[in-house]
Amino acid sequence: MSPRTRVALMALVGACLAPAVWSIAAALPPFGAPTGAYGPTVNALGPPLRHVSNMVSAVNFDFRGVDTLGEEFMLLGAVTGAVLLLRGARGEDLADAAGRVAGRRVEPRSSAVVLVCHLLGPAILVLGLYMALHATVTPGGGFQGGVVIASGFLLVYLGEGYRPWRALVRSRALAVAEGGGALVFALAGFWPMLCGQPYFANVLPLGVFRDMLSGGLMLVENAGVALAVTGGFAILFLEFLEETRAPRPRDEPGSGGGA
Amino acid sequence: MTPVASLAPLTVAGPLAVAAAMLALAHALPRYVPDVIAILTALGVAAICAVLARHALEHGALVYWFGGWRPLGGVVLGIGFGVDPASAAIASFIGLLFAASLVFAWGYFDEVHAHFHVLMLLFLAAMVGFCLTRDLFDLFVWFEVMSVAAFALTAYQLEAPSLAGALNFTVTNSLASFMMLGGVGLVYARAGVLDFQAHGQAVARAGHDPVIAGAFCLLAAALMIKGATAPFHFWLSDAHAVAPSPVSVIFSGAMVASALFVLAKLGLQVFAGSADARALMRGLFVGLGAVSAVAGGLMAWRQRHLKRMLAFSTIAHLGVMLMGLASLTATGVAGLVVYFVGHGLVKGALFMLAGVLLATGQSIDELRLRGRGRGQWATGLAMALAGILLGGAPWGVLDTGTDLVHAAAGGLARPWIAAAIVLGAGLTGAAVLRACGRIFLGLGPQAGEEAHSPTDEETERADRPLWLMLAPCLLLLALALLPAEAARGLVARAVAMLADPSAIPARVPALGRTSAALGWASTALSLSIAAFALWRERLPRLLTGVADRATRPLFGVLKTPHSGLVGDYVAWIGVGLAAFSIALALR
Amino acid sequence: MSAAPWLVAALLFAAGVFGIVTSRNFIHLVGCLSVCQSSTYVLLLGVGYRWGAVAPVFYDHPPGTPAVDPVVQALVLTDIVVGATVTALLLAMAVRVHDKTGTLDPQALAPFPDRRR
Repeated sequence: MSPRTRVALMALVGACLAPAVWSIAAALPPFGAPTGAYGPTVNALGPPLRHVSNMVSAVNFDFRGVDTLGEEFMLLGAVTGAVLLLRGARGEDLADAAGRVAGRRVEPRSSAVVLVCHLLGPAILVLGLYMALHATVTPGGGFQGGVVIASGFLLVYLGEGYRPWRALVRSRALAVAEGGGALVFALAGFWPMLCGQPYFANVLPLGVFRDMLSGGLMLVENAGVALAVTGGFAILFLEFLEETRAPRPRDEPGSGGGA
Repeated sequence: MTPVASLAPLTVAGPLAVAAAMLALAHALPRYVPDVIAILTALGVAAICAVLARHALEHGALVYWFGGWRPLGGVVLGIGFGVDPASAAIASFIGLLFAASLVFAWGYFDEVHAHFHVLMLLFLAAMVGFCLTRDLFDLFVWFEVMSVAAFALTAYQLEAPSLAGALNFTVTNSLASFMMLGGVGLVYARAGVLDFQAHGQAVARAGHDPVIAGAFCLLAAALMIKGATAPFHFWLSDAHAVAPSPVSVIFSGAMVASALFVLAKLGLQVFAGSADARALMRGLFVGLGAVSAVAGGLMAWRQRHLKRMLAFSTIAHLGVMLMGLASLTATGVAGLVVYFVGHGLVKGALFMLAGVLLATGQSIDELRLRGRGRGQWATGLAMALAGILLGGAPWGVLDTGTDLVHAAAGGLARPWIAAAIVLGAGLTGAAVLRACGRIFLGLGPQAGEEAHSPTDEETERADRPLWLMLAPCLLLLALALLPAEAARGLVARAVAMLADPSAIPARVPALGRTSAALGWASTALSLSIAAFALWRERLPRLLTGVADRATRPLFGVLKTPHSGLVGDYVAWIGVGLAAFSIALALR
Repeated sequence: MSAAPWLVAALLFAAGVFGIVTSRNFIHLVGCLSVCQSSTYVLLLGVGYRWGAVAPVFYDHPPGTPAVDPVVQALVLTDIVVGATVTALLLAMAVRVHDKTGTLDPQALAPFPDRRR
């Protein structure tokens, strides 16, 4: 199909679907009106039954823990796939110098950038840890904290350069973190089964409301998720940054690389 | 909680935990350990699901509430697994297929430190979760995990066509998952809960409601994209052609069919009370199934790339399955379930045979492989047998499924359904038999339409023994030959419990049946079309010339949409959605 | 006005699909897929909102204060992770495709370009 035909076809499709979309939008409950009992019930039951104040985390790790299990392993699968795609073609190598693409100027690192990274890097790492630890109390959680910590690693690359970044970010350690975190999450669900309870039942002591260590099993799951997400995203950043290394002759036998 | 009930989470969490452990220890595991662990895990899942199916058949469907969150005051708070006999049996079959595929893939994926096995275990867990869950958002999560594992596995070979095929697959199926999420959002807006049974009650109360109709359209479109039904099927031929053979076994044998199984489940449990949904299924979906069957068969006939040919034949057979499920009767859904198993066995065996030919003959092109199979009598016989079964031969599991679908179609009083099934099965069987005759007997020197179809210079390593590759293939074929007639009563009972999981049926009506004449008709059709192609050079030129001129415009029309461009595929998805809305508006 | 979020969601999805169908650069296509996904965020979060309610985190307000639906927020969190993972995979594929074929144009990326005609 030529692009023009496609656009015409999509215009036709849009014309056919517009009345349906309009009638669905009109039939949906108005924005802001209460819908259903699931949400209010969770809001009512969460604090007394689980001693947590962050209801979203309660839903993620307790009420609907299996969804988070699937989501965690989806991240694992996607990172594994991306690693296969990128590293599989390029080969693993622990170089201590960044690659240079022929014909591109190498910009020296500005001292302002280095200063800002020195100041912000540790701050962001601490923020990420805070978010990950206080999952059950304030907005945040394993996913959010893990992504922030992984982004903090990137600041190391920006501020310090390739060699310290590569020394800090080891692919094997990250793979262990990622796999280990996911394993902790899955096994946290098995622990209640040993006590005769269903999978993911919250059998650990629930702690005090509004305290960091509240929520019981949610804390273990959260720690697993934080570890796995940190490892996963750091591996992704590593693999994509490694793509900027100019290929050596033994890395890619046939085709050339770079833009 | 009974001990059997506590087995339910093991089917999903078990493979996930094993996969995570394997990833963490990836660099330290010796050579064949990941293979062994993965095969044992798959067999374990198959065994546990079989136990659960047997238990559910006798004592009623089991509901396992994760986290101990039982429904409170009528509000469902947690996620449940609904282990009814049909779902558990399908999950068990999936585990078996995975085990066979992993045996076939022994030693194939050495270089990448067990990553292949991690992805396969993730895929297995996701498919089992997809079949067993009774929560709509959980369904979406497992659908997505399944898709991500499949995307990663398709791109494995890292050559240019492989990546382009994986891109098409990823983009179209991601759109499917967004549509599914839209459907879930719409149902949640109307019903306020995410559980199948609670939804079913809410839908029944809602009556004629554009929101429910829209939600059904989105969910059905998403599942039909995954289930490769026309006009959403274009991605399958690209993905299959480039995925490694063990992965293709799972795609065609289980993944696409499971999407249709879940569509049946949603139709029976969630949208049973919606007149719009029923009308759409019995009207448009039956038509789309027929189009898939015939178009898939014709395109399969036109291929010379063996895996593409098998991909199009999958599309044709899934069209037959859709026609069975669209009737929403017990016979039709029973036909879907039995066809799932029968087709999965035969198609899995065929993809393994394609892998064997690729390894021994160093080509995947039927015309280039001509005569190279001489002397490989085991492979040749297996392929011929699979081709005859695919063409509708009246024995085995696949035939029982076809029989049930025909009987369900008879209930709908539309004779063209039977014609579409016979034509589709006949063409796909003919394509496989033609390839078999050409490769193993050296027949068919003169190529017809298939000479103009796309091909590839693919090769695979031949470093594992032939018997190891053939053994799982022959096992699958042997299972496909088992007479399924004896299981009719069990299947009827399982389907009754699928429609209403909360009740144990006291007495189950018998399923319909038709005569064996239709099976003989499609077998005869496939044998004669294959013979036409293989002995072309002996037929009078006039006859072959007329046949070519008559069919060329048909093939031309069919070939044009299959351009390989992702923009076209997405445009066709839009056309499909528009067709759904027009069909509903015209009701 | 009370149907505005639903229409916005539909518009976002349509815009994303239009972008995919007419795309000439694969990175642009990945962005359009993200736009399609953001329509599901708008739909889900819009379904859960309640006028005059607070966020479902009872740290500053006492439990029992009317709060918005936390379930859809958890669903959207999962959805975001889904989007991030698929985007990562697609971008990795795009890098490889560019290596192998030198182009990022979806119009030129057919897996089996037909040999004749």
